[in-house]
Amino acid sequence: MTWETLRAHATRLRQQHLSELFAQDAQRFEQLHRHVGPLLFDFSKQRLDGEALQLLARLADERDLGGWIERLFAGEEVNGTERRAAMHWALRAPADGSIPEPREGLYAEVEEQLQKMRELINKLHSGQWRGVTGEVVTDVVNIGVGGSDLGPLMVCRALEECDVTTALNVHFVSSMDGSQLAYLLRELRPHTTLFVISSKSFTTVDTLYNANTARSWLREALGREQSVVDCHFLGISADVQRMTDWGIHEDHQLRLWDWVGGRFSVWSAIGFPVALSIGMPAFRDFLAGGHFMDTHFRTAPWLENVPVLMALTGVWNTNMLGINAHAILPYDARLKYLPSYLEQLEMESNGKSVTRDGEPVEGSTSPVIWGEVGPNAQHAFYQLLHQGTQVVTCDFIVSAMRYHEATPVTTTLEGQHELALANCLAQSRLLAFGEAALPQGEQMPFYKRYKGNQPSSTLMLDELTPFALGVLLAAYEHKVFTQAVMWQINPFDQWGVELGKKIALETLSLIHQQPDANDLSAQLLADRNRSLRDSMDASTTGLIDFIQQQRRGF
Amino acid sequence: MHIDVYGSSLCALVTAGSLASTGHRVTLRLPEGDITRQLQRGESPFREPGLEALLNEQRSSRRLQLGRMVDAPSDGVSSVFLALDLDDIELAHDIVGRLASLDRRFWLVVNQSAFPVGTTDRLQQTLGDVGTVVSLPELLQEGVAVQQFMRPPQLLLGCDDPYAESLVREILRPVSRLRDQFLVMSPKQAEFAKFAVMGMLATRVSFMNDMASLADALDVDIEPVRQAVGADPRIGPAYLYPGCGFGGPSLSRNVMDLANVLAASGVGSQLLDHVLRINERQKEVLFRKLWRHYHTRLEGKVVAIWGASFKPNTGRIDNAPVLRMLEALWAQGAIVRLHDPLALPSLQARYGQRPDLLLCTDPYEAAAGADALMLVTEWKEYWNPDFPRLRADMRVPVLLDGRNIYDPEFVRRSGFAYYGVGR
Repeated sequence: MTWETLRAHATRLRQQHLSELFAQDAQRFEQLHRHVGPLLFDFSKQRLDGEALQLLARLADERDLGGWIERLFAGEEVNGTERRAAMHWALRAPADGSIPEPREGLYAEVEEQLQKMRELINKLHSGQWRGVTGEVVTDVVNIGVGGSDLGPLMVCRALEECDVTTALNVHFVSSMDGSQLAYLLRELRPHTTLFVISSKSFTTVDTLYNANTARSWLREALGREQSVVDCHFLGISADVQRMTDWGIHEDHQLRLWDWVGGRFSVWSAIGFPVALSIGMPAFRDFLAGGHFMDTHFRTAPWLENVPVLMALTGVWNTNMLGINAHAILPYDARLKYLPSYLEQLEMESNGKSVTRDGEPVEGSTSPVIWGEVGPNAQHAFYQLLHQGTQVVTCDFIVSAMRYHEATPVTTTLEGQHELALANCLAQSRLLAFGEAALPQGEQMPFYKRYKGNQPSSTLMLDELTPFALGVLLAAYEHKVFTQAVMWQINPFDQWGVELGKKIALETLSLIHQQPDANDLSAQLLADRNRSLRDSMDASTTGLIDFIQQQRRGF
Repeated sequence: MHIDVYGSSLCALVTAGSLASTGHRVTLRLPEGDITRQLQRGESPFREPGLEALLNEQRSSRRLQLGRMVDAPSDGVSSVFLALDLDDIELAHDIVGRLASLDRRFWLVVNQSAFPVGTTDRLQQTLGDVGTVVSLPELLQEGVAVQQFMRPPQLLLGCDDPYAESLVREILRPVSRLRDQFLVMSPKQAEFAKFAVMGMLATRVSFMNDMASLADALDVDIEPVRQAVGADPRIGPAYLYPGCGFGGPSLSRNVMDLANVLAASGVGSQLLDHVLRINERQKEVLFRKLWRHYHTRLEGKVVAIWGASFKPNTGRIDNAPVLRMLEALWAQGAIVRLHDPLALPSLQARYGQRPDLLLCTDPYEAAAGADALMLVTEWKEYWNPDFPRLRADMRVPVLLDGRNIYDPEFVRRSGFAYYGVGR
């Protein structure tokens, strides 16, 4: 019902250019921005109005957003297909109970892991983590993929200016093909390298292959004693047994829980590299930022609630205006990995086409999301944004202040920050208004015309601190949850990425090089592979044949 | 001549005593505190051979007097030596500034302190045009400092003023008789030359330690290698002993300062950075051997340490290898029982009471019940221990020789597991 009313309203609004909406209402920015904590959310350049917002809020009520938020924070099984709660918020909830504990002892378990993390980090910071030869560990390599890579990598880079130590180098390895690892192993010394194996399930093939390569490298250099693995590996997983089976020493295990989704796990022990880089107090600030946003999300009315407003504008754009592309544009190179992080967060969560009840969804769900550091993207895909045929919505992300430390180049760096800010504001303005942003009456040839009317939001932080980043990320998490409620889908599972892993294993058995053998088992294997091959399509077998030919050299 | 010497460093005491012994009238101006009280009692605060006797003799002959650092020189004095600690640059400026306000025909200020390069020139600015500040960097070796002062192999003099130079030559005439021992250059050059000497010495030690690590890996005894290297006349035998790192207020600090000066000037010195890094690594060499001996499990192990001072015959632990060793052992949950003839008070002051540090006044008491014994500083009294007694008293007979003073074969025959540095 409301859905239809919204559509009708959108059809009317669609006739109006953003420049007209601004011309009609001098108070537009006043009405269409919100400011909570360190975050200012400006959505006045979205193609909606007060009436649309009222209707969207009503839709939120109809979809029982309030009930879902309650269930989320009560630790109920909001992840129906996997029968799990989604309690990433509990990782950042202070133990004083401002959010009631869904079950007794939960906060204590979280705190216990934070304490263990602190001890391990102290050992590394004080130069007392020893390799098997007694040398001090100087390099820490995080091996993980997906949430176990993108989260810590993105936050580490974002908060680089908060780094507490220069004596330790933190590296990240994720790619299954081993190229990142192969490069690092040439640079590092086994004696002084610690590997962090970060995998929620501890079954992720990508990660375990990299971990096995790392273990072989260490054994080659340092010997095969168990103490080599004891001293040079730290494990982070929800599966303690699998960590132990792989050989991670009990003292060097950090755990999370199956109620933490991988893409929500940077707040857990998976954030170890972050805490290692910026120190435990700053990591706690980051958690506090997340909790600040949790509280805001739980308590603010829909139209004052930043994550809800982010979600509702998204629903408006996707379902009412039919826009299916969304760009993430940080005007701050420290946020280089934020677009990839949000690609995972949004598309893995909401790239679904079946509702919680198993029905096909009514309309579109998550748009295609991509992005890049804004000023760099200005030299790439902005051409399409300004003059292409696609309608794209954008999130501009920037902080108002930067560069306080007095260095010899502070002044020129401040100048560069001002330049980035100016570009951020100029681009969102040009996208919204097109050539109407220019002085009246300037006539342009056809190839220099800018149609404008591309909607965008601006998320401005006062400063990129651990706290502010926590606020920003939690806002996106709750945006994703809210949209899932609006679309009636489960944002916490990812069945779409499972089957590919399985058939890759089958395919591997056809690609894997077998040593020549004539015994019976080899014969059986060959038979099995032949029937496997027969079950495959012509394209796949053709490609496999080509690989084999290249290897044989004829 | 009437001369005032400011400072309580070893160099200040040796300078004051030696100058007095050649007939000068010397006032040694000291800060208030232990050192002054000790000197007044007729004791030397440094265990420097010959120093105590020298000072007492000169004081009883009344050529040497003790004074207060806060006081200015008396009327007859117009030559002042500054032999202050590394960190007392401000103090140096205060003293020189006070001189400038006194009425003299000409002030001669001789700066012996190991301040950063350029400090002498800046002191000159503080003094103004009422005299000259020259640099006479001290190159004293602890243990033979008094002899060296009286018979210096060379004297680096940083001085641009011929009149000041003639005064310094006059003061030091008795110690520069055999030949002209003076190498005269600008103050900045002299200061820099001293740093370069220290850098070279440190480089030799770190080079030898690097060779020792290699010897360990190749299963070669470094000792004959060291002798062979030292026998080459182009190299010479000094500063070639591998061990668990150099320390002390002077050598390591000077090298660090030199590395910092080079880094700050934008030149940087990769070599000295490595020299220092090798040395820091070397300070943990015994720890690493112990770590491997016990297969990375040191929790609850009792480790006896013999010797904590950065070298024998001093109680000082500045930058001493033992500090790194203690931190490393404690971080792994080991308990340390430590003996040193002089350094126990410094350790007590630095670490206070803690359950994992027992300070012992007898070396055998330290070794009792230990899972390993580490020799860190080669005090003479450790050179010939009662091995059967040690073996009986220790829980596990493991001996880690950080200075290669024992014969590995003999120690092993006595029933010990032996580890040296590069052997």
